[in-house]
Amino acid sequence: MSNSRMSNNTTSDADDEVLQWVTYKLGAETYGINVMQVQEVLRHTDIAPVPGAPEYVLGIINLRGNVVTVIDTRARFGLEPTELSDNTRIVIIESEEQVVGILVDSVAEVVYLRSSDIDSAPNVGTEESAKFIHGVSNRDGELLILVDLNKLLSDEEWEELTNV
Amino acid sequence: MNESKFARQKVMEDYLSALLTDDQPTPGAKIPLDNVSKLLNAALLEIHQDVDSHPGPVVSLPEITEITPPAEKEEGAAHPPSDQPSGVYHCEFQGLIFEVAGLTLALPLTELGGIHQLGTVNPLFGKPDWFKGVMLHREEKINVVDTALWVMPEKCAEKLAASTKYQYLIMLGDSTWGLACESLVNTVILQPEDVKWRKFDGKRTWISGMVKKKMCALVNVKQLIRLLDNGIYSNNSSFK
Repeated sequence: MSNSRMSNNTTSDADDEVLQWVTYKLGAETYGINVMQVQEVLRHTDIAPVPGAPEYVLGIINLRGNVVTVIDTRARFGLEPTELSDNTRIVIIESEEQVVGILVDSVAEVVYLRSSDIDSAPNVGTEESAKFIHGVSNRDGELLILVDLNKLLSDEEWEELTNV
Repeated sequence: MNESKFARQKVMEDYLSALLTDDQPTPGAKIPLDNVSKLLNAALLEIHQDVDSHPGPVVSLPEITEITPPAEKEEGAAHPPSDQPSGVYHCEFQGLIFEVAGLTLALPLTELGGIHQLGTVNPLFGKPDWFKGVMLHREEKINVVDTALWVMPEKCAEKLAASTKYQYLIMLGDSTWGLACESLVNTVILQPEDVKWRKFDGKRTWISGMVKKKMCALVNVKQLIRLLDNGIYSNNSSFK
């Protein structure tokens, strides 16, 4: 229709960087996180609750001798909670020089996206969780919501996590 | 002397004539020396010349200054703020009539970006309720507005929101915004006088006016896009 509409035009521009994204599901939606921040993906394991921890913290797990805090992604994004299933995974990520786990419904695949394939999400909404969205992309007719993990927690919250 | 008198008489005639044919001053505008004051200056010049040629008592004359008409009292701020699109049409135009949750709305066809069947809408977390999400349509990503929730959040109770069956998406101009609607009624040809144009001093700046025949609001598309771009609800008056 018009040039101002968002589109997925691919260009051969040298600046058009290709990034890899690990995609995962929360409900019916597909989300993506930068593959460079993903350390590993684990099957669901027992998570030990931590008394007094923030509500978005599910608890801690022992990962080869290291204690890793697991975040409830649904709670963080303001989504309804759901039952655990065989597909539930804990994605171990590194963000802000800290290693944490995020609980997701399932992990889908790794996809390649050009920078030009990513559009910013509309700047509406004042909820804190709105800032977690890095952008959106049309992946084979399916909308991929790209998450900015560095904004998942504030500096104070990262500090709080270290004390969990 | 007689010549001078004749000249002054002509000047006065011109002056009176100018008074009768004077243009209406723009409200609040400071008018520079207009025709009238020029004529007055000419008259004074004539007097000076007359005085110079016939020495006599010296008369001091008041200095002519620029005339500033009093500012007219604003009546409902008939003009929008300079950066706000007015949405007013001065000639015949066509409007699309559509319905949402029992509410009828009209939109100028010239500002219609397209109409799509409403497909799968992907919600984004952290967004307001009226933002239904993003719909993919070919290569485009369309931001879908829950029109009922945006237009009348105060009336759109949970029950009404749940019963609203959106079928179409009305694209706003060349933006990425689309209004979800339940049904498309028809198109009508409208004359400027068919619309009671809105005054720009209140809330709901997204309405250009009311279509008298249909008794429905005519959408000011450009202003609506601005509001949506800024994530503002329909009745927010702080954003002009």
